[in-house]
Amino acid sequence: MNARLLRMATLPVALIALWEALGRALGGPRTPLPSKVAGEAALLIMSGDLPAALAQSLGRVFSGFAIAAAIAIPLGIAMGRLRAVERNLDPVIESFRPVAAIAMLPLAILWLGAGSGAAVMLVAYAAFFPILIHAVAGAKGVDANLARAAATMGVSGATLARSVIMPAAMPQIAVGLRIGLAVAWTAIVAAELAVGAKAGGGASGGVGQMMFAYYAYSIELNRIIVCMIAVGLVSLALDRLMRFALARAMPWIET
Amino acid sequence: MTIDLQSVRKEFVARDGARTPAVEDVSLTLGEGEFVVIVGPSGCGKTTVLNMIAGLERPTAGAILADGRPVTGPGVDRGVMFQDYALFPWRTVAENVAFPLRFGPAGAGLSGAAIGDRVDATLTLVGLAAARDKYPHQLSGGMRQRVALARLLSYEPKVLLMDEPLAALDAQTRTILQDELLRIWGQDGPAASRRTVLFITHAIDEAVFLADRVVVMSSHPGRVREIVPVDLPRPRNDATRADPDFQRIAQHIWSLIKNEAYRAATS
Ligand SMILES: Nc1ncnc2c1ncn2[C@@H]1O[C@H](COP(=O)(O)OP(=O)(O)O)[C@@H](O)[C@H]1O
Ligand SMILES: [Mg+2]
Repeated sequence: MNARLLRMATLPVALIALWEALGRALGGPRTPLPSKVAGEAALLIMSGDLPAALAQSLGRVFSGFAIAAAIAIPLGIAMGRLRAVERNLDPVIESFRPVAAIAMLPLAILWLGAGSGAAVMLVAYAAFFPILIHAVAGAKGVDANLARAAATMGVSGATLARSVIMPAAMPQIAVGLRIGLAVAWTAIVAAELAVGAKAGGGASGGVGQMMFAYYAYSIELNRIIVCMIAVGLVSLALDRLMRFALARAMPWIET
Repeated sequence: MTIDLQSVRKEFVARDGARTPAVEDVSLTLGEGEFVVIVGPSGCGKTTVLNMIAGLERPTAGAILADGRPVTGPGVDRGVMFQDYALFPWRTVAENVAFPLRFGPAGAGLSGAAIGDRVDATLTLVGLAAARDKYPHQLSGGMRQRVALARLLSYEPKVLLMDEPLAALDAQTRTILQDELLRIWGQDGPAASRRTVLFITHAIDEAVFLADRVVVMSSHPGRVREIVPVDLPRPRNDATRADPDFQRIAQHIWSLIKNEAYRAATS
């Protein structure tokens, strides 16, 4: 175990040491260095600024993600099971899907203002498509015999969707939820950067806006790197948490 | 409930237009409380006949009546035990057995506690009480088959349509469940209290042991070769299996399907 840990740490430690050495030898006063980044990270964490910004971003991600899932799962199941629904909705969905979430920003800000509303909407938009597409595929792939068995027990329609289709499609939906959450977290940073720009560094908050302020006003590269690392670590933690939650929610899946 | 098949024909049409004639001109009546067993080689249309009675497939021609009314789709009066069990993998054994009562019309008016009692009783009946909280993937084939049986029995359909329900069991368990099945069906009680059963099997001795009548089918296309009455006395038990009449009827059925079985085995 310790030997493995050592092997895993060797390359990152070497790279960081190289960065520090090259930065000191060749860089100017503004060049970010690992030692400086570590110091700034400690400051930003102690002051509570970074945790508060992350918490605000996470709150928006969870809201947007929940909205996306609440719409995409039932809609995806309806599209996967009912030909008429799919035929009507598929062209609409497929024409919106290539439009990046960030391209929705002007509308989002005009409608909802440069605050949480716009950021949540972007997150919901971004997370919606992967969840929907996996829900459609999951609903289509349900073992036909299970639906037939339910039919012989008098179960059909909405009850069938709730008691058979949805749980049978759950492993696929879970993949969509994992991708959706990762996309949502990516989208929040972009959204807050952009909303921050619009709000002029005002009170929109979140880790993206924090990065924007360091970029546009105080020009603090070390702090921007702290934010980038925090964003990456949170993303990793979110995925681990999601996998754990999904495994708990699906105890019948052998792992 | 009586089931009436009148000159039923079934042809499957694939997307590319290819036609598979599965069942040709089958006429058969399942009397009230009668135990009818179908035997025949693989692919002779046994499952197709059962699915049509269940309302899961529509006949291409002919009519199927349940108590005189045309069958137009599935209904809780005709319960099915599927050849591949069709258990819900995300539900435990007890939840699978409770499914028709919790989500279907058969459980309307039953309280949660009443459903729980019914589930426990049914699980005990099939010998699965200890496995109630396991998931299907944790069970052996034979145990899964018993879960499917329990799920069928839990909501008490008037007609039991069973597609090779004991095929995955070892010989001992199979014998025990044959006895159990006849008991559940009501062979010790008055004929009027029995449910109607259509049972599919490959095993001739199983067919003769269980049936009032054995329907012998032949394939290409699936037809009724002969309907063999089994007039062995009830209740049937271990002594039945040793009865010379039992042997004689089994021999007769074997002679009917022997040629086709040899052909299928050597082709
Ligand atoms: N859904 C289907 N589509 C096309 N052909 C089918 C379908 N179901 C069954 N068949 C064909 O119909 C015939 C009878 O099948 P089946 O009723 O399953 O036979 P058995 O249960 O006696 O083994 C077989 O030739 C089979 O290939
Ligand atoms: Mg079959």
